[in-house]
Amino acid sequence: MAKAFLIDTSRCTACRGCQVACKEWHGLPANRTRQRGSHQNPPDLNAYNYKVVRFHEDLKGGNIRWFFFPDQCRHCVDPPCKAEAEGYVEGAVVRDEATGAVVFTLLTAKLSPQACEAVRSACPYDIPRRDEKTGRLTKCDMCIDRVAAGMAPACVKACPTGAMNFGERSEMLKLGERRLAQAKKVYPEAALVDADTVHTVFLVPDPRVDFGPPPGIDLHAFLGEPRSASISEPSLR
Amino acid sequence: MKMSRRDFLKATSAGIACFGLAQLGFDLEPLRAYGARLKISGAKEVVSVCPFCSVSCHVVAHVKDGRLVNVEGDPDYPINEGALCAKGAAILSLTNNPHRVTKPLYRAPFGDTWEEKDWEWVLDRIARRVKDLRDRDFLPTNGRGQRVNRLESLFSLGTSHMDNEECALVHQAMRMLGVVHMDHQARI
Amino acid sequence: MTNHWIDIKNADAILIMGSNAAEHHPISFKWVLEAKSRGAVVMHVDPKFSRTSARSTFHVPLRSGTDIAFLGGMIHHILENGNYFKDYVVHYTNASFIVSDSYGFRNGLFSGYDPRTSSYDRSSWSFAVDAQGRVRRDPSLRHPRCVFQLLREHYTRYSLEKVADITGVSRENLLRVYEAYAATGVPDRAGTILYALGWTQHTVGVQNIRAAAIIQLLLGNIGMAGGGINALRGEPNVQGSTDHTLLYHLVPGYMSMPLADWQTLEDYNRANTPASSDPQSANWWRNKPKYLVSLLKGWFGEHATRESDFGYSMLPKLERGEDYSYLYLFDRMYQGLIRGGFIFGLNPANSVPNSNKVRKALDNLDWLVTMDVHHTETTDNWHRPGVDPAAVKTEVFLLPSAHRLEKEGSVTNSGRWLLWHYAAVKPPGRARSFGEMIVDLGNRVRKLYRSEPGAYPDPILKASWPEGYDADEVARRINGVFTSDKVVNGRRYRKGNLVPGFGALSDDGSTSCLNWLYCGSYTQEEGNKAKRRDPRQTPMQAAIGLYPNWAWCWPLNRRILYNRASVDPQGRPFHPSKAVIAWEEGSWVGDVPDGGWPPLSSGKGKHPFIMTVHGFGQLFGPGRVDGPFPEHYEPVETPVNRHPFSGRLHNPCYKAVTGDLDRLAAPADSRYPIVLTTYNMTEHWCGGGETRNVPNLLEAEPQLYVEMSPELAEEKGIRNGDPVIVESARGRVEAIAMVTVRMRPLRIQGRIVHEIGMPFCFGWTTPGCGDATNRLTPSVGDPNTSIPEFKACLVDVRKADRLEELAR
Repeated sequence: MAKAFLIDTSRCTACRGCQVACKEWHGLPANRTRQRGSHQNPPDLNAYNYKVVRFHEDLKGGNIRWFFFPDQCRHCVDPPCKAEAEGYVEGAVVRDEATGAVVFTLLTAKLSPQACEAVRSACPYDIPRRDEKTGRLTKCDMCIDRVAAGMAPACVKACPTGAMNFGERSEMLKLGERRLAQAKKVYPEAALVDADTVHTVFLVPDPRVDFGPPPGIDLHAFLGEPRSASISEPSLR
Repeated sequence: MKMSRRDFLKATSAGIACFGLAQLGFDLEPLRAYGARLKISGAKEVVSVCPFCSVSCHVVAHVKDGRLVNVEGDPDYPINEGALCAKGAAILSLTNNPHRVTKPLYRAPFGDTWEEKDWEWVLDRIARRVKDLRDRDFLPTNGRGQRVNRLESLFSLGTSHMDNEECALVHQAMRMLGVVHMDHQARI
Repeated sequence: MTNHWIDIKNADAILIMGSNAAEHHPISFKWVLEAKSRGAVVMHVDPKFSRTSARSTFHVPLRSGTDIAFLGGMIHHILENGNYFKDYVVHYTNASFIVSDSYGFRNGLFSGYDPRTSSYDRSSWSFAVDAQGRVRRDPSLRHPRCVFQLLREHYTRYSLEKVADITGVSRENLLRVYEAYAATGVPDRAGTILYALGWTQHTVGVQNIRAAAIIQLLLGNIGMAGGGINALRGEPNVQGSTDHTLLYHLVPGYMSMPLADWQTLEDYNRANTPASSDPQSANWWRNKPKYLVSLLKGWFGEHATRESDFGYSMLPKLERGEDYSYLYLFDRMYQGLIRGGFIFGLNPANSVPNSNKVRKALDNLDWLVTMDVHHTETTDNWHRPGVDPAAVKTEVFLLPSAHRLEKEGSVTNSGRWLLWHYAAVKPPGRARSFGEMIVDLGNRVRKLYRSEPGAYPDPILKASWPEGYDADEVARRINGVFTSDKVVNGRRYRKGNLVPGFGALSDDGSTSCLNWLYCGSYTQEEGNKAKRRDPRQTPMQAAIGLYPNWAWCWPLNRRILYNRASVDPQGRPFHPSKAVIAWEEGSWVGDVPDGGWPPLSSGKGKHPFIMTVHGFGQLFGPGRVDGPFPEHYEPVETPVNRHPFSGRLHNPCYKAVTGDLDRLAAPADSRYPIVLTTYNMTEHWCGGGETRNVPNLLEAEPQLYVEMSPELAEEKGIRNGDPVIVESARGRVEAIAMVTVRMRPLRIQGRIVHEIGMPFCFGWTTPGCGDATNRLTPSVGDPNTSIPEFKACLVDVRKADRLEELAR
């Protein structure tokens, strides 16, 4: 049966349990990051972060709002990344009909950097990132290993507040409607995002909020850090 | 007896055939069997407690061949019900950590390096330092002639990282020596 | 916590103040949001809009150090609007007690103040008693000298105008919180207060919590499901390590450390065992001699005999009024009065105020034993930046320590649950547990004292000390064993058998117990109860999320303290659908009651607050050194030089050390116009020694930052992400500016005061992440606890032209 995430950001506290649990389960190394005037770190998805909690704050009419967005692959019902990748390397991106998981396979290493860029550009949510070391394209794999074993994805398992949910798609859509009704009492603009076309449905309090680059941060300017975060072995003393 | 949530998860993950990510290719079928390569299948499960805040979330440690391979929340503990925050989610790399101190280290007075030592040497040397200091500075009585049994020049600090059993012994040991400068995280 | 984590879900109103629960106790928010989903109002009162605020119903910013003004205003509001729970207040609190005529309060000072010693003679803060020695009461609460009337009079000054003027909170926001919270002053609604170091780390820390306790007693929220006064304890086993007392002023189980004035056990018992003339007062501490003697038996075994005062004479004795806590320890170390010591898993070079002084003080030690999992600013202090190791005389040992998953034993969570953890893997390399190290070291010291002469070897050689470390064996010692055959409640126990509960502890030497609070945790009948994993509960228990068979909880598995106050004098729950206990067919059901006596109305019952002498909740609290009622005083470093409540600017009893490095900014000091508060963060742990070494956590929070409002940034010409220098009278620190609307300028006494905030987890051993924020904070503390004032001091901030500490 098709699976889905329901990510109710109205319940997210940005504890980043999901962000770290994802790294720990997948054995992903740490990026060397800098403080740039935001809690959002790493500042963006990258080959070692399939999940990044984005932060957005504003002050409207004397009210402070702070929203959190645990970004990840949406596992599209009809994934444009797959369609794009197939033009270059067949089997680089596969979709598991049973779960709806869209998975980047080892064959993505055969995609050229330009092809990887094309696949990334095809993604309406800007999710895929190329691992410069292996040449592979990377992103959330729905913890397909755990899911196949009857377990929840690592990020969902870690979530304390019920922001991250996972289960049968039909159940998640029903849960989404219930949560939406509840969220609308506080956030009249709240909405479920692209529920019909993805397997990762976000409930957002205000769809107009742009979670783009962290506020006030020029990713390139500060001390000249290159865009693709570089990995470094920790060397502390 | 009701089956715990964790037992249920274990039961459903049993009996999956063995394929791996490396075998992922054109065929979709292995995707469904991917779970077989689950890094925790066959691992021993040990219950522990997150070493950070005093919610004391329970964790399940997965151990294979004596090595920690995964840590996640214990779904049965009624407080965290399997959840963990960023710190708790990082217990695996906190424990399997290249920065851990793994040997007794010694820095001589005015020295500029750490030297590796064995336990016998350091514990004997510390015991000697303790006795010498105590014998030198022990204060049997105060200015008013009251018996006070104090060793004021030796202190003990920490730690809330200790188990209850360790705390009980540290407190006892310090009072036997006469230590009064004793404090820990409860005050900071 | 009087209650426990799951119980938060039962609240109708949640006031989070002095805590950033979502960030520092993230899993607590599972239960906060559960309450919110059920309709609870969640209020966050804090200088900073944090992740807690983001998920609360609303946030109210206030200036650091003005919590008593805020809470005093709430007490005033509750009393003036009649929001208190009258039956509860009359029956269960000391509101009706008549206070002696000698008590008074004038212009910020309580009666009995001695300016020469900066302390109070508390004898005038007493109750009037009748001929039988019982406290005189007026249940009508009209007597002009009754606690209720004195309380009303004390807080009359705390008007909305004055509170708003000093806290920076608008009248509207004050009323919004007061009204929402005061609505719980009815029998079938409960409010909980969640606090943490944001309340304790002030020179009025204890009185912050007293003010909250007064509110909870007035509203009838103590003892109730979804109520209580809940300290969200900070560190991993800080509850257990406080219970087992790694603190100078106590012995395990919250009993006073002997003073020089108490030379004999009899002296100690006379000074420390309270007496009550009221037959309906349980006055539980009357049992203290049993607990102390059992502790001495645990420490000295067969050497603890009645003839030897059970070894009491061998214990160290403190000087009355002398303080041996951090602030004074490091001051004495700085003066060269301390020669050696142990630092177990603690990073004082980062986490004690005025770190520059602390670091220099450590240089004065002859030897230092550190035990840790990583190198920290403390273990490696001898080669810190700017110091030549060749000039540092200290002999330093760094002993590799096992981490939680590498050893077995028990910890106690904030809700007092005793939890066993098992060893999953062996420690890396040659690392060992603290237990193994201390037992081995103890035996080596004992061997030296056996083989050669030395100073007063008796307590060392007569100690009952294990041969090797075995957590299970120590857990049994903590619970306690019979030292001879004995019959208790008709059951025969043999020598060496485990004591079934602290009711069986004795002052005749027949029991030994390392901590009376834990007696009953490990029994002959049920084994080690910390290991229990049984979720069974009755429907009544399920209704409030009580798990009596999961692990064990002190005292005696009682999950909600003072639960006798949740029922009326007939034993009927005030809030039937969320009942904690109930008297049914001649026995109590639900939680373990505070004593098994029948309800109060039977005439054989006891007042519910069994740990107080009289059995009543203490609106008037004569036990604190700085006053029976909380009173607003400014932080030692404050941006104002007057406040509206009295002419007394500071807590007249606050603690401080003085020396060349202990400089303080003057009130309203123009050089340091900005208020600084400091805090923990989600992704790092306290001083950061552990978590900075975890790459995935350092990735998420890599460097020291300072959160400031856009208005302040504009004033200072600082842009988001700029490197800045933060400077106090004691030190300077580099940080990255995080310019955020979540910090709001506050209007205080008609002018704008800016507050900024910084985490304290970064240190130089992790290159390029920054160094100790505590180089800025002052060595001043609360007069009751000596907890330093980390939460409010004065600084200035300016843009930096280059980076050193943060260069990477």
